[in-house]
Amino acid sequence: MTAKKVMLLGEIGVGKSSLARRLVFDKFEFDYKPTIGVDVYRYDVPDSPGRAQMSLVIWDTDGNFGDAIFRHIYMKEASAALIIGDLSRPSTLETMVKLAEGFGEAFPGRHAGFIVNKTDLVPDADAAPLPAILTRPGTSFMRTSAKTGSNVGRAFIDAADAIARRGQ
Amino acid sequence: MPRTPLPGAASKAMQHSLRYRVEKAGEVIAGFGVYGVVWLDEDLKAVNRFGKLVDFVELGRPVTESLLPLIGLENEILGLKRNPSRLLELPAVAVAAANGNSKKMNFTFLWLAEEQCPVMLAYRSNSQTELEMELSKQIRARLMAEEVVTAKSKELARANADLESYAAIISHDLKEPLRHMRYIADELIAECATRGDEQFGKKLSEIQQLSRRMSHMLSELLDYASLGRKYEGLALTDTRALVESITRSIREKGFEVRIEGNWPTMATLAAPLDLILRNLIENAQKHHGGTTGSIGVSCSDEESALVISVTDDGPGIDPANHQAVFLPFRAIGSSGGTGLGLAMVKKMAESVGGSIKLCSDPAKKRGATLTLHWPKYIVT
Repeated sequence: MTAKKVMLLGEIGVGKSSLARRLVFDKFEFDYKPTIGVDVYRYDVPDSPGRAQMSLVIWDTDGNFGDAIFRHIYMKEASAALIIGDLSRPSTLETMVKLAEGFGEAFPGRHAGFIVNKTDLVPDADAAPLPAILTRPGTSFMRTSAKTGSNVGRAFIDAADAIARRGQ
Repeated sequence: MPRTPLPGAASKAMQHSLRYRVEKAGEVIAGFGVYGVVWLDEDLKAVNRFGKLVDFVELGRPVTESLLPLIGLENEILGLKRNPSRLLELPAVAVAAANGNSKKMNFTFLWLAEEQCPVMLAYRSNSQTELEMELSKQIRARLMAEEVVTAKSKELARANADLESYAAIISHDLKEPLRHMRYIADELIAECATRGDEQFGKKLSEIQQLSRRMSHMLSELLDYASLGRKYEGLALTDTRALVESITRSIREKGFEVRIEGNWPTMATLAAPLDLILRNLIENAQKHHGGTTGSIGVSCSDEESALVISVTDDGPGIDPANHQAVFLPFRAIGSSGGTGLGLAMVKKMAESVGGSIKLCSDPAKKRGATLTLHWPKYIVT
């Protein structure tokens, strides 16, 4: 089975670890524990007719890194990045745009998907203004809730499909 | 810092060589909980050389199978052969076990020329102590909370601005039909005069008066809503001249006015200061209840503020009403005012960082003193 490295990027507290833990262990922890350095998870992506078997090695990074993450050894050989924001904190959505630009420059041609998390906290998710880049046609964008599990698996499967399509 | 002994039974020469290399790496290996040293072959499989393997690496298996974080770093690790003085460090990495637990570790790779193989040193990450991690957690939680408060404050400011513009629109638009009512009343009064219907004309005049009063209230409401938004810049102001010009008309009405204390000339927002003092002094006369009386206006030039007091010898204000007098449309007594005067004074004073206080207890002594703290340094 091929193993592909996927980075989780985003500001502190947007729910990167919660998404990873929901995906891998199907759990949600209410107690906030910040990630120091990086936590690594493995997720075997369910088979799909159009894609070879794939295992995602998910690197859940410390939100403190900011732009510096792109120069860090953690990023070596990353096949894709999932860039995460918190729907209840608009500033984190703006940071997503900067991280996407940074990833695009450091890893041209690699897949970058956007995840707007914590949809459970914002009653009318459509009412929250999102940066234009997220809703642009062709952009990989998913609204998720690590708390309820909504769309979490779908977001990672989409990333696996995109990696397979790009042959990375 | 004392070095933890390297594990296993490596030869003395190898121990020495490895220790030299490890110590060259600085503090990375020092101190806390060394997990172990793993020798690797050129396929990055764990091989049995010297020492004890760490428990998560199995002899003969590729190290990348035990350690997911190394996937993709194979070339980096083997590349150390070209530059044996280099170290490859992978700090603070935790691999989630099936039960969700994990240990945070630092990995350092180096090329051991004597053995022609890479060596992995795995040791517990001590980059942050428990206390530092707790502090980090609290700092982050606080940052997140501050962000929420900032967002709420912005929302509140926006809501206040909406409310102010709403009040401005309402007061402006309501004045128009009132004006029409007065015109119609004018015509009807003229008609009554022609017909000699004096009683009916009197009632129409009352309607006109009430309409004027309501119009006046709306104008004041409009002023109140726009307070703090349209002050001009600082201007050099002679505060004594200002208060003298305000009190002139009061003196003409038969009141004695004493101006005392130290009134400086200073750069300040003259328009709101004028409005506040005018309100306070005219109120002292208006609510006095007599045709003559005494009003004292004093100023103390303090370090950061002017403390201006306006004292009258009128009937005073019951302590039960001290808060109400500063609320909009809460006129106390029957002076015919709109009840906005002191509310405006308070709002204006606070909009520049000042304050207003009332001191009065008619049960003990006649009169009231209103004390304004007016900041000397105003940021516009």
